[in-house]
Amino acid sequence: MKPILITGAGVVSAIGNNKAETLEALLSGRSGVGLLKYLKTEHKEFPVGEVKLTDAEMRQRLGIADEAITTRTALMGMLALEEALHDAGLSPELLPQVGFVSGTTVGGMDMSEQFYLDFISSEAHKEYIAAHDCGSCSEMIAHHFGKFAFMTTLSTACSSAANAIILGANMIRCGEADIVVVGGSECLSKFHLNGFNSLMILDPQPSRPFDATRNGLNLGEGAAYLVLESEESAKRRGVNPQALLSGYGNACDAYHQTASSPDGEGAYRAMKEALKLAEIQPSEIDYINAHGTGTPNNDTSESQAMKRLFGEKVPPVSSTKPFTGHTTSASGSIEAVFSILALQHGFLPINLHWSQPMEDGIIPVTQPTRKELRHVLCNAFGFGGNDSSVLLSSVKVPEPVEGPTQNKGASTSSATIYILSAKQISLQQPLSEAWMDEPVHYSEPFVRSIDPSFKEYVSPIEARRMGKILKRAVATSKEALRASGLETVDAIITGTGYGCIENTELFLDALSKEGEHLLKPTYFMQSTHNTISSLVAIQTKNHGYNATYSHKSISFDSALQDAWLQLQSGKINSAMVGGHDELTETFYHILKKGGMMGKDEERCGESAVSIVLAASCHCEEEPRSHPDIQPLCKLTGFQILHQPKMDTLMDAVTKLLHSAGKTLNDVDFIFTGISGNYTNDEAYQQETQTLFGDKPLLKYKHLFGESFTSSGLGFYVAAQCLNTGRVPASLFVNPKEASDKQPKCILLYNRSDGKNVSLTLLEA
Amino acid sequence: MDELIYTLKQQIIEALNLEDMTPEDIDENAALFGEGLGLDSIDALELIVLMEKNYGIKLQDPNQGKEIFKSVAVMADFISKNRTK
Repeated sequence: MKPILITGAGVVSAIGNNKAETLEALLSGRSGVGLLKYLKTEHKEFPVGEVKLTDAEMRQRLGIADEAITTRTALMGMLALEEALHDAGLSPELLPQVGFVSGTTVGGMDMSEQFYLDFISSEAHKEYIAAHDCGSCSEMIAHHFGKFAFMTTLSTACSSAANAIILGANMIRCGEADIVVVGGSECLSKFHLNGFNSLMILDPQPSRPFDATRNGLNLGEGAAYLVLESEESAKRRGVNPQALLSGYGNACDAYHQTASSPDGEGAYRAMKEALKLAEIQPSEIDYINAHGTGTPNNDTSESQAMKRLFGEKVPPVSSTKPFTGHTTSASGSIEAVFSILALQHGFLPINLHWSQPMEDGIIPVTQPTRKELRHVLCNAFGFGGNDSSVLLSSVKVPEPVEGPTQNKGASTSSATIYILSAKQISLQQPLSEAWMDEPVHYSEPFVRSIDPSFKEYVSPIEARRMGKILKRAVATSKEALRASGLETVDAIITGTGYGCIENTELFLDALSKEGEHLLKPTYFMQSTHNTISSLVAIQTKNHGYNATYSHKSISFDSALQDAWLQLQSGKINSAMVGGHDELTETFYHILKKGGMMGKDEERCGESAVSIVLAASCHCEEEPRSHPDIQPLCKLTGFQILHQPKMDTLMDAVTKLLHSAGKTLNDVDFIFTGISGNYTNDEAYQQETQTLFGDKPLLKYKHLFGESFTSSGLGFYVAAQCLNTGRVPASLFVNPKEASDKQPKCILLYNRSDGKNVSLTLLEA
Repeated sequence: MDELIYTLKQQIIEALNLEDMTPEDIDENAALFGEGLGLDSIDALELIVLMEKNYGIKLQDPNQGKEIFKSVAVMADFISKNRTK
């Protein structure tokens, strides 16, 4: 690939509140890990890498009023983003041209864990309810600086920020954006400190990655952002790159929900893919910033992966986690900034506290070494085997000569994208299209999904650690895969607003009521958002690309966008895109109290939808599918916008239709989220009137309910209408408009949280 | 001992969420991990929590579990000798 420029960076961690302090600490070997000071927890026995500022001090630095609603993850994110934007010379007026992709898993949990009992039983602190989810956290960070063109949130546990880098890079390569600010933020929380403790992987001593005596990790916190920019844009703005992003890889270990495979399959594939994309040889790598957590399992697995890829000649390796602690979701971008500093200043960061080689392990760098570096690999691996690796290069590396293969896989010449299958579990008959003729109607405000028997999809022993959301995801995915006629897919991409909320609640409940001891690891391991996507990979033995998006009502749409970009550019030929959310009685009432659920007459539900998409790849005319499988329809246009003004939106609609060779006249129906909860239907109708005139409007949420990922159900419903060539009368907003007209072209308009809008064009 | 074994089986079923299983389905002499019931490292952690919660036995090192959790019978024997409640 043609390298992408990195024109700015910012970082906050236990070793410094900016790049200069960070560089000094890395060069002098000063660790930031020590006794716990800021987090309120009983577990003082574990060393941690805390950012050396209170929330109040951070608010003061940022000029934020004391009474403002903030979370620690958001505040650290703002500090790092401020440095990155300043570094790249991005002033507020430029932001409407800039994308923002952030990674987090903790989100607002630091506040939710303090106020959980209030959330349940009183009105106190209810304004923090809306700050709980990952997407709110990203928006809080971004909105401090202005209005970005687009934003979304990756949540793949400890590789979240690395995957944010990868999405940003894909967007630039596909010409979707010129500048994307990418990275992640994560504060320490009692929730995950206790979670890691329940997994018995915290070391009460300073962590010693790759050492024979290693006994677990120390947790840390922090944030970092990189400014990714196309060469043309940087030239236009007159800014110089600090380093280059020349490759990246994402693969799934598909082995176990918390453990890495003994041979490091996922890690091996991720690093290999990064090298392949960069078109460089293993021998050209000068340094690897390892994931190196210090757990016996990770370091064994990662050593194997490095040995498989590099053979006898493993380049210098170190884990910088003894400096910062494991900064979980933020580690991918924090360590990418460390790698950039190493490239810029020519040194190898050391692996603190190492003294004895482990069996079959690598020997890390322990002596401060000055060395000119050309190419650096930076690894970040997450629970569930969400393994990613990014390849960063020095600006001094001569640019490869532009040849015909240079932009292979990144051309914008679009392939045709087919929807091969779509399956749902929701308020309607599960795994069936019975709703088209016999829809089930509800009157209760909150309704649980109708579940099929899961025995066919998961064995009882597998089911022991699978909440409802996981069983539904596995069932819809396996059914969708079967119906697609494909044996496997190249990517599994999931959207979820709240993830496994049932297990999150069980863990929070025990933490709040019984205290910080004897907590169940089973609840914790199912609380991360990426459990869904990675479990589908484990269940379908899929080592391909794997990612999870958690950004409010565009969680599914963000997953779809990722698939759309990669399918169009030929990077993948098929994808399973899912939208999964569950709701519990307790969280229904909490979210309602927080103003995130609608009026009583509206339906709150749960959703599970899995869709298989395939591109007619650049070499073949039809998708690589079973000849008997007829695609449901085609996906011919897609875009997400953040807080667009009406004229921007109108332009976007025109452009989207134009690039599909269509005009508004060709669109038969507009699919809307009318009857949803997050906005009133009047505003929806006014907007659609302005945008689409008198086009007949369709709705689906009155039958399928509202959830953060109900737009996935909207996609499913529209696809089934195009496939069957009819629109059931029950879907018309205005019953008088119901007709037998065969739909050929449907535009989906999702704007249910009032901030983010997605446009999806489907054709028969 | 038989009573402890039966209670332990019930507690294991609950702690590990083994839906559709009854104490009668578990052979107290069969291996809990690997070939037998097919449990893994996370289940071992749950069993550690179970032992501390119900019998006041605290294991610091998950590796200790390898011997103790060989079978329900071995586990019951260990509990009867080390329980503090």
